[in-house]
Amino acid sequence: MIFHLDTSTTQPLGVVLLKKRVDANNSSELQKAFAQWLQQTSNFVFDCTKLDFIDSSGLGAIVSCLRKALEHQGDVKLAALGPKVAMVFELTKAKKLFSVFSNSSEAIQSFRTVSPK
Amino acid sequence: MKTLLVIKKQEYEWLIDLLPGVHPLLVPICNKPFIEFLVDFAILAGSDALRIVSDGVLGSVEHYCENGSRWGVEISYGSMRPADDIYTVIEKNRRFCLEERVIIISGFLFIRYNKKSEYASLFTSLPSGELLSCPHGSISLTGTSTTKTETPGTLPFSLAALDSIGKYYELSMEILRTGLTHYVIPGYSSEEDCYIGRNVIIQKSAEIIKPVIIGNNVQIMTNSIIDSNSVIGNNVIIDRESFISGSIVIGNTYIGEHLEVKNKIAAGNLLIDPESGTSIVMEDPHLLTAMTQSRVAGALLRRVVHALGATFLILLLLLPWLLLRPILGLQGKWKRKREQYFTRLPGKNVTLTNTTIECTGVLSALAKALSLDRFTLLFKVLSGKLALIGNQPLPVNPAIPLLPNTHAVYRPAVFSYAEAEEWPEIGIDTEIVEHYYAVHSDPLKDIAMTQKALFYRTH
Repeated sequence: MIFHLDTSTTQPLGVVLLKKRVDANNSSELQKAFAQWLQQTSNFVFDCTKLDFIDSSGLGAIVSCLRKALEHQGDVKLAALGPKVAMVFELTKAKKLFSVFSNSSEAIQSFRTVSPK
Repeated sequence: MKTLLVIKKQEYEWLIDLLPGVHPLLVPICNKPFIEFLVDFAILAGSDALRIVSDGVLGSVEHYCENGSRWGVEISYGSMRPADDIYTVIEKNRRFCLEERVIIISGFLFIRYNKKSEYASLFTSLPSGELLSCPHGSISLTGTSTTKTETPGTLPFSLAALDSIGKYYELSMEILRTGLTHYVIPGYSSEEDCYIGRNVIIQKSAEIIKPVIIGNNVQIMTNSIIDSNSVIGNNVIIDRESFISGSIVIGNTYIGEHLEVKNKIAAGNLLIDPESGTSIVMEDPHLLTAMTQSRVAGALLRRVVHALGATFLILLLLLPWLLLRPILGLQGKWKRKREQYFTRLPGKNVTLTNTTIECTGVLSALAKALSLDRFTLLFKVLSGKLALIGNQPLPVNPAIPLLPNTHAVYRPAVFSYAEAEEWPEIGIDTEIVEHYYAVHSDPLKDIAMTQKALFYRTH
């Protein structure tokens, strides 16, 4: 996963590019890294363009990230969910928890239009 | 009238990859194997013989349909080369096609018909030649008509090609929504648009919304919702608070807790979106999993544990058996009967000696309490023919064959899970509890369940 700060909006926005798999093997890494990223910003876009697979551990990690962001008055938005990953989000009803956008630009744009909580 | 069914492997190959483990001709459409729709149609059309010809392997189809006596038709099987055209196939099956009128169904096609329509007289009067065709096949007739009646302008049946998972889904939904009364659908139907199979447990808080079809041995757990337009296959568990809508759950599938399956096909650990054709293999067994036989290592471990348990019981019960067996035999209280039982391997049976102890007197009560009536069966555990604990062995009855999907969870044993749980030894509840443990048990649990079975038999 690759993290960078997007400063095109009024406040810094964390953009996380998730790659290949988020599963039991690397979900704890995501959670640890997210705790560090939270010190820089509380609003995030998880770009899933290159995410091929997610299991329940990975899903749990992403929901945990959302929970932590909400605790810091922020949000986690998802972008470019592939069909297979989207099916897992739908199956587990996790899709209802997130704002989902077709690409990361739209997700970033949505932070511009909606003032943070 | 006869029917010749010609289906090439290349026409159904796409389905093998999507739904592995089920022969495409046995793939359930609204819980009824595809081939049965064709058999029903052939019977309605007045056929007394059906020949299935394919260049693919027909082993499991042969095993399922056998000689057709179940439907009162004679079913035979033939092979062909992939390059053979329909005329070559007819030529190769000349003996079958000779003399009588023959309906030739060519292609992996679904025939839409209505069981209430009269097809037998129609097919005897129709002229020979192609009756209907579509890009994936046709239905035609050979021989000369025997009766002269006016043929209708439009035929009371139509063809639907099965060439993608989307078409399969659409067809299932079409039957579910509008055609349930046109076909013979498995299950009981006390009200319109709702078919429910045998051994179905629906928790009080679960909700079922029509139209719906639910197969045999299904458990729908607390607060689950089976929304309209859903087909639940045989041996399925829908766990707590899950929501199924507009979906097909193929047999032997476990749907985990709190899940939402909308407009999908779930088959084992495979989830398919019929609209896009996207499929994912779930790696989380608590989300979606196939309820199949244990893996080889698990099966081996189970066999070893069961053999050790049986050895222990043999050593423990040998002396009481040697002492009590001759006495009870002389008193005429020890009765034996040899019978054939199904094994877990399709097509193979085992002969077991069923012992009944007449329970009058202290010695017979003691023998019964020690489960000496099962003593000789313990040796079958050592030879691997029986499990120590599992399902009650099912006696072989030619009229009631063991369905292929039952083999996945059937493990004949000396003691049954139902006995361990003090359930009645016969009846549908027994099958449910045995099915549940067949899916959820492990070797260690089996030992604990055997102890329980012994304890409850003692008391």
